[in-house]
Amino acid sequence: MGLAGVDMVIVPATTGQMGVLPGHVATIAELKPGVLSVHEGNETTKYFVSSGFVFIHANSFADIIAVEAVPLDQIDANLVQKGLVEFTQKLSSATTDLEKAEAQIGIDVHSALNSALTG
Amino acid sequence: MASNAAVPFWRAAGMTYITYSNICANLVRNCLKEPYKAEALSREKVHFSISKWTDGKPEKATLRSDSPDE
Repeated sequence: MGLAGVDMVIVPATTGQMGVLPGHVATIAELKPGVLSVHEGNETTKYFVSSGFVFIHANSFADIIAVEAVPLDQIDANLVQKGLVEFTQKLSSATTDLEKAEAQIGIDVHSALNSALTG
Repeated sequence: MASNAAVPFWRAAGMTYITYSNICANLVRNCLKEPYKAEALSREKVHFSISKWTDGKPEKATLRSDSPDE
């Protein structure tokens, strides 16, 4: 994505949607799967972030670090629905803690993708 | 000083953050439309060589070339 000067970004922190404006206090926050929206003037560009961190520096620079960040129009709604059904089933048939955790991650990510597309 | 935040469920199940983050990324990649999906799957591939060292010398190297898996 690279460097850009914008008015505000809203990041999906684990503690909830966090709005970041110039002059924000320096913060490090962990991100959960969700929508990142970049606001500039009247335009908003939205991306889905798989997970990661946001570093907000004292000089009004913010770095968003994510393994995957995709524009919302690259997401296929059918695949999201299929995935949600599949992982909900996996959770009910999971036995070990690890399997349950993996299934729960699948549900969380697909629900977040779903809300991103419908929200 | 003990933290009073709840431990995330994946950490409680014995998973590390990096495993969690990679699983999330793979799930997102699998939900992409074509042609983005093909490009994304190529990002999942790893290709590296690994060797154990003893007495300051490397032993036989093994080449790992993992393609994306579940």
